[in-house]
Amino acid sequence: MMEWAWLIPSLPAIAFALMVVLRRWLPNWGAILATGSMAVSFALFFFVFADWFGEKSFPGDYTFIYSIDWLRAGDAVLTWGMWIDPITLTMLGLVTAAALGIQVYSWGYMAHEPRFTWFFAVHSLFAASMLALVMADNLLLLYIAWELVGICSYLLIGFFYDRRSAAEAAKKAFITTRVGDVGLLIGILLLFVETGTFELSAIFAALANGELSEGVVTGAALLMLMGAIGKSAQFPFHVWLPDAMEGPTPVSALVHSATMVVAGVFLVARVFPFFEASDTASLVLLCLGAVTALGAAAMALVMTDIKRVLAYSTLTDLAFMMLALGAGSVTAGMFHLLLHGFAKATLFLGAGSISHGSEQTDIRQMGGLRRRMPLTALAFGIGALSLGGLPPFGGFFSKDEVTLAVFHGQQFGWVFFIVALTVGFMKALYMGRVFFSAFLGKLKPENEHAHESGPSMLAPMLVFTTLGAVGGLLAFGWTDGYGGFGYFVFAGDHQEGFHLNWGIAGASTVLAVAGFGIAWLAYVTGSLRTEGIIARVRPVHTLVANKFYVDEVYQWTIDTVVLTLGNAIAWVDRALVNDVGVNGPGSATSWSGSKLRVVQSGKLYSYALGMVLGFLALAVAWWVAQ
Amino acid sequence: MDAQAVAFAIVAVVALVSGIGVVTTRNVAHAALFLLVSLASVAGVFILLVAEFLALVQVLIYGGAVTIVLLFALMLTRAEEFSNVRANPQWLVGALAAIGVFGAMGAVILNDRLDTQALQGPSLKELGGELFTNWVVPFEIASLVLLMALIGAIILARASDNDAPGSGG
Amino acid sequence: MELYHVELLSAALFAIGVYGVLARRNAVMVLMAVELMLNAATINAVAYAAFLDPGRLVGQVITVFIITVAAAEVGLAMAIILRLYRVRATANVDEADEMKG
Repeated sequence: MMEWAWLIPSLPAIAFALMVVLRRWLPNWGAILATGSMAVSFALFFFVFADWFGEKSFPGDYTFIYSIDWLRAGDAVLTWGMWIDPITLTMLGLVTAAALGIQVYSWGYMAHEPRFTWFFAVHSLFAASMLALVMADNLLLLYIAWELVGICSYLLIGFFYDRRSAAEAAKKAFITTRVGDVGLLIGILLLFVETGTFELSAIFAALANGELSEGVVTGAALLMLMGAIGKSAQFPFHVWLPDAMEGPTPVSALVHSATMVVAGVFLVARVFPFFEASDTASLVLLCLGAVTALGAAAMALVMTDIKRVLAYSTLTDLAFMMLALGAGSVTAGMFHLLLHGFAKATLFLGAGSISHGSEQTDIRQMGGLRRRMPLTALAFGIGALSLGGLPPFGGFFSKDEVTLAVFHGQQFGWVFFIVALTVGFMKALYMGRVFFSAFLGKLKPENEHAHESGPSMLAPMLVFTTLGAVGGLLAFGWTDGYGGFGYFVFAGDHQEGFHLNWGIAGASTVLAVAGFGIAWLAYVTGSLRTEGIIARVRPVHTLVANKFYVDEVYQWTIDTVVLTLGNAIAWVDRALVNDVGVNGPGSATSWSGSKLRVVQSGKLYSYALGMVLGFLALAVAWWVAQ
Repeated sequence: MDAQAVAFAIVAVVALVSGIGVVTTRNVAHAALFLLVSLASVAGVFILLVAEFLALVQVLIYGGAVTIVLLFALMLTRAEEFSNVRANPQWLVGALAAIGVFGAMGAVILNDRLDTQALQGPSLKELGGELFTNWVVPFEIASLVLLMALIGAIILARASDNDAPGSGG
Repeated sequence: MELYHVELLSAALFAIGVYGVLARRNAVMVLMAVELMLNAATINAVAYAAFLDPGRLVGQVITVFIITVAAAEVGLAMAIILRLYRVRATANVDEADEMKG
């Protein structure tokens, strides 16, 4: 079965191709191809998963590699293959489940869109690229999939391309991640130059044998990190993710839970040996994670658009995963990735359900929606509590894993530990804020007509809710074959069983309860006046509400530096390349032709004279040469 | 100065003078006759260079064929202008260029004297043998060239309906 | 009679031919000038065969070919001139200048 794992990404890709080519002949339900292929992929995942467990002697590390030669150029052989290890399996499960659920959801949500089939086609390709990305056994294939993910996100964020803001957001996402992608590409090429191969196994072997100098390791790690933070929207590339809300909500759900943004985290986990080998890279990772976590959590607290709050919460959680990886724990990072994926899918599908049922996106305009959409309220509530880190929901366990990993981190553990605790509190606060103000309290008159969404939207939402709620159990070893997530996904030799540090767990639970409690006071009972608090810290609030002016700084940089440079280059292009270089030969030919045409007198003896003069010129030249 | 040199001087002078006559006379018929004299002188040069066969060929082909063809053409066209042909406007430049050409070649000739051997020509038998053994392929090709020239000349010279003067065809 | 005497004669005849080609208007005259140039070349070939080539043959063979080709050329050229005359009622080369740029 393992050899057939390549079908998992291939099927959605084929579905994409069929839907695009046959779009004209397919009726609207051509989208069934997409969902069907995704369902088959999801089923295949279980076979592969079972097969993987069947072939390995647990516990132990077993990576299944299956590759074929793709291109031969001299000594260099490019392979095209699969790399299936626990990280891949985790991602495969998450991506196929999330993509399938979200596609089912989209049947309801996107039902009235004119480009219904196109949406499903690109959605399929998006999932296919992400699946190829997580299965790639060499960096080149990984990079190809990586860019495919990027272009699909561009297409989906700009799905409503006739709306200017959507087109702008799509461009922003694509260009911002591109900046990081350049770093990734350089990193990959650096490794190719150093090792002569793109294959992960060979590169890791070279790294383990100490064939790579310390500078190369750090450089490669930092360059690949650049790509990762671009995709995962970490500071300073975080600006695209909130704007990516312009896409349809199912797209946001997919982008935030399973594809795109987690690709960066996955990349760091995939090339984790480099970060293990380089303290500098790990420290940079930790710092970026900490900065992003704090900044994004602060912004999530002040945003009023529900999808933007969720977007910044995604940033926070991605930063959490980065923190865990920076602290050296792949287990915690991947565990949080998995559970965050379920929770975030729930939340986004819930948010989509809200906007579908009530046309509202601003949480200040909501309130009391639980009366009109109880199941959405239930799902969203559990998702919010889970992501806020309240036991016994899944988010609590993964957050606790991360906090613990950071606490045990090698470098400045306590600094980042405090950051993690603080952010944990803020997470609870903004999750409480968004849930309470949307669903609890009094129903506003303008929302009287709000209604619950249909079953095709509710079903996936509730499935994800369940997964997110009980996912924490994955941390424990509850069968003989499965010793807990820590014995499944780990880096190098250190397997980590799940062990609660009661002090830390207690502290983070207290903080989470406090966060939700404050949110309750502020947004349900109203006994805590948020206006008063905001007034007291007006400058800070303004700063955060304006997203720390990062966008403005970028805009200024683009307007002044980039555009000035661009204008200079454009001038060079117009004046030198176009006018002189391209048009130059043409106009020179035509000008000299118009001047030289008088030579063509049509008189035979003129031509003969030309021949004789040519002969004389040759004679003179020969004479001079002598 | 031996007899051979005297003979060469005579034929050379005749060849050059009649050659100048060819390019300067205004009457085409006169020019053709001058050409005949010049070519005959060249045949004399061939004799002095011990190439009797070529001299014979020269007289036959040029004196017999080429000049006759030229004169026939003149007769067929009967152009009035042929009796009074002026030089074209660039004749002075042409003269200077011709002097330049002669200067260039003369300079090379006088500058770079080649070592010569005693003057002696091959027998006709040797020439024939050479022509039909080592040079047989070019010889055959030359016959083809002649054939094609023949056909081409016929096609070109054949009168057709739209050949009336001034029709532009 | 030395080789260079013959060479000079050849060069002089050639130059006369050049002048004829450059200075005459009439196509028949131009053709005659070309014939002069061809003869200058054959003189050279024969002279080299006699003075330089130990086998004394190649130059003469070449000359045979030159005369052959010259004969063919005259035939064709005369046909062209006839044609030109029929179309233009002239044999002046400068009146056939459709190729003027």
